[in-house]
Amino acid sequence: MPIIVNLDVMMAKRKMSLNELSEKVDLTLANLSILKTGKAKAVRFSTLEAICKVLNCQPGDILEFVE
Amino acid sequence: MLQAASFWDVDNFYQIRMYFYCLSINIYLYLLCHLKHLIMKSRTNLVLKILYILSWIIFVGVCIEAGGSIFSAFYFLYVGDKHARTFWVGNDLSSLYTYGRVHFFAETLLISIASVMKACIFYLIIKNLDPKKISMSQPFSKEVGRLIFNISYLSLFIGFISLWGVKYKEWLVEQGVKMPEIQYLRLGGADVWLFMGVILFVLAQIFKRGIEIQTENELTV
Repeated sequence: MPIIVNLDVMMAKRKMSLNELSEKVDLTLANLSILKTGKAKAVRFSTLEAICKVLNCQPGDILEFVE
Repeated sequence: MLQAASFWDVDNFYQIRMYFYCLSINIYLYLLCHLKHLIMKSRTNLVLKILYILSWIIFVGVCIEAGGSIFSAFYFLYVGDKHARTFWVGNDLSSLYTYGRVHFFAETLLISIASVMKACIFYLIIKNLDPKKISMSQPFSKEVGRLIFNISYLSLFIGFISLWGVKYKEWLVEQGVKMPEIQYLRLGGADVWLFMGVILFVLAQIFKRGIEIQTENELTV
């Protein structure tokens, strides 16, 4: 898929673990790992909003388009 | 003797009979309540189990038929003309055998292929309907989708083979060969098989789209 999820990069920058993020964003670990590994087919705006709020970043920092 | 006579006298016998009546009514009510509860609780599972048992019975029957067709085809090709009149379930194919061994082989091959395909359908059904394998919590799985697709392909294949067999038989009759009826040759209902195949194919396409939507829904974060 040409859309790459850079969630792990942002998490490393903010020095945040997956467990911590899942607690703060209120998502299950399974769903977050689906997102992190790039298996996700779609992301809700509400999820994206929560992640951006917790990681203090823009959606463009998490998602990237590669040809 | 006296004791026995007193035990079986009218009053005692009436009491014993009443006990039996009460006991049987109690058992009946107990079973009714619990069976009703069981049926209400897992009607789908019960239906699936019954279908599974039925599929096994049909599978065994169809396998015997397929095996019989193949065996008799090869046996009579080897043995010869006079035995061909007892082909499988008493069909008289001696006229066809006399007309030409190649035609005999072709017709019996079509019958055998149709029988084997029917056995394949039921094999797929019993393989996938296994109560230990099938999960009712997630029935819209890829395996079930593939099963419907495979059954539809097999049905279409049986339909075409049967149609071909029927046309071939008609041609042979036109040539003056005495042939048994189509239903005795197990080639009847070609149109039904084709209809079933097409319907199942359409259903399988819809099912496939449903599975895709479900997967997409599951992978939406």
